[in-house]
Amino acid sequence: MRQILKPFLLLFTLSSILISCTKDETTIELPVTAITVSNLPADTVLGINPTTGMPTSAGKYTFFSLERNEVVSNTDSASTKWDLAFASTKILINGGTSGTAMGGAFIYTGLFDDVKTISNDSVFKTDNAPASYAITYGSGKGWYVYDQLTSLITPLAGRVLVIRTASGKYAKLEVINYYKGGVTLPITASDSDKLSKQRYYTFRYTYQPNGSKSF
Amino acid sequence: MKLRLLYFLFFTPICLFSQVTFVKDTIQLQGDSVVVTATRSERKLSNVTVPVTIINSKSIQQIGALRLTDILKEQPGLTMTSGFGAGVQLQGLNPDYTIILINGEPLVGRTAGVLDLNRIALGNIKKIEIVKGPSSSLYGSEAMAGVINIITDGTTKIPLQASIRYGTYKTIDAGVNQAVSSKSIFYQGYYNYYSTDGYSIRPSSASRVTTPIHRFASNQQFKYNLSSSTNIQVGVRFTNEQIKNDISVTNGGTTIHSNGEEKNTDYNISSTLNHRFSNFLKTSFRSYVTQYNSTQNLLTISGAPYIDVLDHLFNRIENQTDWIVNKKLTAIIGGGTVMEGVKSSRYDSEKVRKTNANQYAFSQWEWMPNTKFIFIGGVRFDHNQTYASAWSPKVSMLYKINKQHKVRLSIGEGFKAPDFRQLYLDFTNAAAGAYSVFGTAQAQKVIGQLNTLGQIGTLYNNYYQLKALQPEYATGANLSWEFEPNAKNFLSVQLFRNDIRNLIEVQQVGAYITGAQIYSYLNIGRAFTTGLEIEAKRQISNTFSISAAYQYLETGDKDQIAQIKSGIVYTRDANGLSRRLNLSEYVGLPNNSKHKAQLKFNYSNQNGLFGNLRALYRSKWAVNNTNGNEVYDNGDSFAKGYIALHFALGKDYVNGFGLQVGCDNILNYIDAIHLPNLPGRTFFTTLKYQIPQKHKL
Repeated sequence: MRQILKPFLLLFTLSSILISCTKDETTIELPVTAITVSNLPADTVLGINPTTGMPTSAGKYTFFSLERNEVVSNTDSASTKWDLAFASTKILINGGTSGTAMGGAFIYTGLFDDVKTISNDSVFKTDNAPASYAITYGSGKGWYVYDQLTSLITPLAGRVLVIRTASGKYAKLEVINYYKGGVTLPITASDSDKLSKQRYYTFRYTYQPNGSKSF
Repeated sequence: MKLRLLYFLFFTPICLFSQVTFVKDTIQLQGDSVVVTATRSERKLSNVTVPVTIINSKSIQQIGALRLTDILKEQPGLTMTSGFGAGVQLQGLNPDYTIILINGEPLVGRTAGVLDLNRIALGNIKKIEIVKGPSSSLYGSEAMAGVINIITDGTTKIPLQASIRYGTYKTIDAGVNQAVSSKSIFYQGYYNYYSTDGYSIRPSSASRVTTPIHRFASNQQFKYNLSSSTNIQVGVRFTNEQIKNDISVTNGGTTIHSNGEEKNTDYNISSTLNHRFSNFLKTSFRSYVTQYNSTQNLLTISGAPYIDVLDHLFNRIENQTDWIVNKKLTAIIGGGTVMEGVKSSRYDSEKVRKTNANQYAFSQWEWMPNTKFIFIGGVRFDHNQTYASAWSPKVSMLYKINKQHKVRLSIGEGFKAPDFRQLYLDFTNAAAGAYSVFGTAQAQKVIGQLNTLGQIGTLYNNYYQLKALQPEYATGANLSWEFEPNAKNFLSVQLFRNDIRNLIEVQQVGAYITGAQIYSYLNIGRAFTTGLEIEAKRQISNTFSISAAYQYLETGDKDQIAQIKSGIVYTRDANGLSRRLNLSEYVGLPNNSKHKAQLKFNYSNQNGLFGNLRALYRSKWAVNNTNGNEVYDNGDSFAKGYIALHFALGKDYVNGFGLQVGCDNILNYIDAIHLPNLPGRTFFTTLKYQIPQKHKL
């Protein structure tokens, strides 16, 4: 069925481009596509503090540019080169108390594919550390839940991070997994695995380079 | 009016009490035993209009059950839960919704709604009656899923009985029981001592799932017959337990020990004055006092002591009058008053007892138009000081189609009053993010005060909806069909449905300026449980019998189902991408297994030899909402289904001695996380002695 449909789809897409060409000859819109980023480390765990029992880490954010789909050096933390910064479950935007650029975000409840256009009455929040963050963190408050019984972190299904980038463009992002290899560990995994394999983000995002709010 | 009553007393010619004849346990499968719980009066099991299960002392002894938990876990349709002690789940409803009675009087001392059934020793129990379906029309609050009534042995003459049992984990149980009586005085005393070393089934942990425990229980009953028509009964029950807590936490190679002691004491005193005016009218005045005190003394890691106290005092005075109006109509009219109070270190002050008063009246009418039909209608009204009042009606009927077939139908309302915790909790967890939970009786006052002090950041809409809590309500229906072709075969099929509304749930009502959450309780939830129970018994020969039972259960949160239907509940596909959850993936309420089944083989001969093999199956159940979508679905964590296999063998000798050996959990099934109350394979030996009687019972 799919095999048969494919040529028709292609034909349909081509014809719609042709039609749009005739209507508006100045721009040809290429559909924006979703990009998947795997195993992005986010201040990974180095060990355990023997007195507090809390995990220890370098305490450094991983800066990421959605526009260029690459990690930005920590030396550029004060620049407009990055859009998001990741450290454990905390995700910063480049704006407010976290950065100097135009970054902002809000969390949409629904499916990634359902975010076709950001409505004009949507309010983009900016970071206001330590009281609040545009991408709220804490179990069940934003994009993930932490299970005290199993010590595992699970990104919530049906949460889309709608982002205004450093340069004021728009993107939508869904966190898929928080563990190395993109698969949440089984509850029976050892404590040391649960620590050493966490803080590796797998996410997909769509970046709209033309500045519009549509994807 | 008085004259009319007198007319009935003296001139109504037929004595209906003759209907109620005590029948000794026979070898018949459904020996027509007497039930008191179903109607608050003595009725033959075959004349009861609601589903009732009777567990007699013989079956308790033959499986070697020690505590109430041991026997209830082997009943069809009952499931044991393991948070806050061992509770019982009936028709898919949590332990909070089943009232536990001893000789008709309620037991108190619930932690988070659970009454630990290990508190009750089974040594001098005559029988246990379980009524399924809402029974608040007779018993008031908590009788929403059903009633479990433990009836102690009131036999006037019991020769001295003593037993001692020893088993795995140094478990010792010793009991002494005796009843003596003269013409007008009856006394029975029962003493029980139980201790265990506890066990650990988590390999890497030194802490024990069941901690070392010592329990002492005593039970005294006095009865004094003033005359043939008036008697006075006094029952005293006392239980004292000491639990040693050794908690070891290993973190990063360092093990930290903390230890402490938990002391629970519990007494019940019930006094009854029974008077029989005539064969048609009798009345009883009952007064009941019970107190449960639980004190936990822990030394935490830092060396600071931690004390947690719960003290529940319950007083009740009640009258019940049974009246035989005429040949076809009997009535019960009653009423009473309850004064209760709880002190807890989790309330604003542990010195002040929070109190509640409750007055109630009930009436039940039983109509037998002919030998085939029985109709019962009843209603109870509960008026409360601290929460809304409740009406609980119930109607039920029995139709004896013929000697082999019976149909029972009952529809009733059940309720559960808000408990003290939901009214008075004043708890701030300093360790985990300083969140607070306030009971509704003072939530608005306390939060209002915090607000004037500038500590409140936000108040949600539901903060303004906080008001006096209402009871949780359930409407339950039970339909059953019984088929008993002869004395050797029995089959019953029962359908049930419970619709629960006004469920009290913890909700966030606001936040501190620090962002820490503030919770309180609101009547918001709606849920249902529905299912099917099948029971079959067959006496294969004079010595050998077999019984089987099956329960199918469906449960669900109605609001969650509505959310799934409207497409706002999500899950992930095989690639980890979000998608909408389908209703077919929804599994309902947690801790409920869809399928439960049991198969029991029983042997017992004339020479006192008996043996049994029991297999109990429970299918998987949801334990944790791992994917965080707030509903339990196929993507969440489940405990695996399992089979527990138990065996016991014993012999009673003519000279009064008895010997029993047994093995529980033969297959050694262990699930440390989800079944902490199920130790691995355990063995036991019991030796008992009873002074031989001249004539057999």
